[in-house]
This record gives sequence, structure tokens and C-alpha cells, in this order.
Amino acid sequence: MSSVSSKQRQFDALVRGHSGDLFRYAYWLCGEEALAQDLVQESFLRAWRSLDSLRETGAAKAWLITILRREHARLYERKTPQFVDVDEVEVADVREALTPEGSGEDALVRAAMLKLEVKYREPLLMQVVGGFSCEEIARELNISSAAVMTQLFRARQKLKAMLGGESNDAQAKVIVL
Amino acid sequence: MNCVEFRRQLAIEPQATAADFVRHRTECPRCAEAQARALAFEGELVRALSVAVPAQLAEAILLAQTTAERRRRTNLRRASMFAIAAALVLAIGVAGMRAEAKPLSVQAVEHLHSEEEVLALTAPVPAAEVVRTFAERGVTLKQVPDGISFVAPCPVGASKHRSVHLVMPTEDGPLTVIYIVDQKVATAADFERDGLRGRSLPLGSGTLILLARTSAEFGRAEAQWRAAIAG
Repeated sequence: MSSVSSKQRQFDALVRGHSGDLFRYAYWLCGEEALAQDLVQESFLRAWRSLDSLRETGAAKAWLITILRREHARLYERKTPQFVDVDEVEVADVREALTPEGSGEDALVRAAMLKLEVKYREPLLMQVVGGFSCEEIARELNISSAAVMTQLFRARQKLKAMLGGESNDAQAKVIVL
Repeated sequence: MNCVEFRRQLAIEPQATAADFVRHRTECPRCAEAQARALAFEGELVRALSVAVPAQLAEAILLAQTTAERRRRTNLRRASMFAIAAALVLAIGVAGMRAEAKPLSVQAVEHLHSEEEVLALTAPVPAAEVVRTFAERGVTLKQVPDGISFVAPCPVGASKHRSVHLVMPTEDGPLTVIYIVDQKVATAADFERDGLRGRSLPLGSGTLILLARTSAEFGRAEAQWRAAIAG
């Protein structure tokens, strides 16, 4: 009985400590609030079922994000994904994508973020929202650290280009890894 | 670290704290300005990505989890009870099969022991009662053998075979006749068990079993009952 309540306490702490970040991560993965909420809930239910496999509390966030990403992938196995190709996105496109209630700089950045290809968006999310290092992102995405650095570099370049900010000057001369 | 390397690192990780990165920033005013712009952009990015979390999200997750857990426990309890019930049924079934695995002859001897008091009866039973008892079991007698002191429709064995139990006093002691209506042995056989002699034989659609201290009267009794049942 006591082991059950201790497990429940551990789970409560995980939910209260990480559900916010997990929701934000899910939101930027799928772009829909209701879907993100479902994803987070389903991910936590899966986490509860396999809580015994979490050995280090320090690894909890990465563990939860792994579960969330798998859950998101399962969702896309069931649904046909609608990919957005954003090779050449102009600021005007981003502005057109804004809803009337979404305005201001934050809204511009959000619209640009949603237009960013998943392969660039996801490592950036892991770094900015998750607080992960390049090595941790590489492990999670199962790619090399060099590839992660390239994707982070390009993600920021594309975002800045969409927002009409600095994309040239010295950065334009930087050789991408 | 030179300017190109610094700018590359800046685009990858604007808040890098590596020693050579920090040193270059202090030495190069243009790169320091670039980092200030990059950090300002990072601030905008963090603020924009920090979408509002739905109210009561954690509570909703915990409610879903505790509800699912309670449902799982209920299902587990039901499954356990079902498993126990199934195990009991299986045990009873196996016990029944073991009991049923006993030959008819053994079941007949055990039945005789359970009703030994009727062996002492000697007063003849009316022939009509014998006919009626067999009729209750769906058997029409062609004739009724003489000298029957007891007749009753009895369930025999664990499977409660539909039978007619009779006693026929002879000079060598009481002879028990059990006619099992619903099961027919393949062949006739004599046996001995618990100090009793016995004979079982297929007759009509059932099995006739004779039990006595000696087999002296078996031949005569078998003939009588063949005539009565098979005609």
C-alpha cells in the first residue's frame, strides 16, 4: 500500500513539475491546443504505466519528452500529416497567417515558428523550451551532434528571415556545418 | 576562436558559456554586439513560445490517471475473481472426471455399500412395482423375474447414472442386480471387489451388473434378466 502511494506521489510531482513544459512542447509540435492537451494527457498516462522504468529524477523531463514524441508519432501514424514546406517563406506569408486576434511581435514569432519545418522546429523547441544541450537533443532525435548544430543554426536563420530581421550581415557568411 | 567560429556558435547556442566563446566576446566589440542582438531575439523567442498552459491541466491529467488506475484495479479484481471461479470449476470438473473415470462395476459396488440395509429384505415385491420402476427409467420389461425383495430407481456413481437397483434373495445369500439404463459396457466381464463377486454385461441399451458373495446364481440370474429386458 505504501509503495503505491509513494508511486502516486512521484507521479503527482512529475505532473505538477513538467506538464506545463510538456504542453508547450506538444503545442509547438502539433500546432493545436486541444490536440496538445490530449497528447500531454495520453503521454502522462503512459508515463504512469511505465513509471518504474524511470531511474533518475534528473532524467524525468527527457524521459517524458521521449514519451510525448512517440505519442505524437503514433498520432501521425493514424492521421495523414499535412506537411508545410517552408523553403522560401516570406514575411508577408507569416503576416497573412496571423489571425485577427493574434497580433504583435509574439504573434509574428509564433506564426513563423509554426511555418518552420519540423526537422528545424523540433531541435529548436528542445533547446528553447526543454533546455536540452546539443548532445541531449542528438540522443533524443537519434542523430549526430553536428547535425543538431546545423539544424539549430538553420532554424534560427529561417526564423529571422521570415521575421525580416537580421539574416545577412556576418551570419550570412557563416559556413554551415 | 575567431569571428566566424563565434558567429556560428552564436547561431547554434546564443547562451553558450564556453571559455573561448566568452573570451572572444570580450575581445571583439562587433561580436559582442551580435550576441546582444542574438540574446534579444532569444528573449523574444522564449516569450513567444511560452504559450499559456490550459488552466487546471495538471489536475485534469491527475484525474484521468486516478480514474484509469481505479478502473484498472477494478478490472484486475474482477479478473482475479473470475480466475478463482474458473480454477474452482476446473478442480470440480477434474474431481468429477476422476470419479467418473471409475468403472461402472466399481460404482455399482460402492452403491451397494451405501445401501447395504436393503440386502436384509426378503419379502417379495409385487411384480407390478418392478414393472413400474423400470418404466420410470424408460425400460419396458418383457417379463418379471421371480423372487425380487427390493426395487428402487437409484442414481449410481458421481454422474448419477439412471439405474434400477434390485435385490433377489438366493440360497447363497442376497444377489444384487443393478441395471444401468444410460450407459452400456462394450463386453461382458466378471470381477471381484471388496469380497464380492460381480458380473457386468451389455443388455438392451444399458448394462446389467450382478453382485453377490458367490457367483453361483449369476448364470440363472443373467438368463432371467436377458429374458426380461431383451426378450
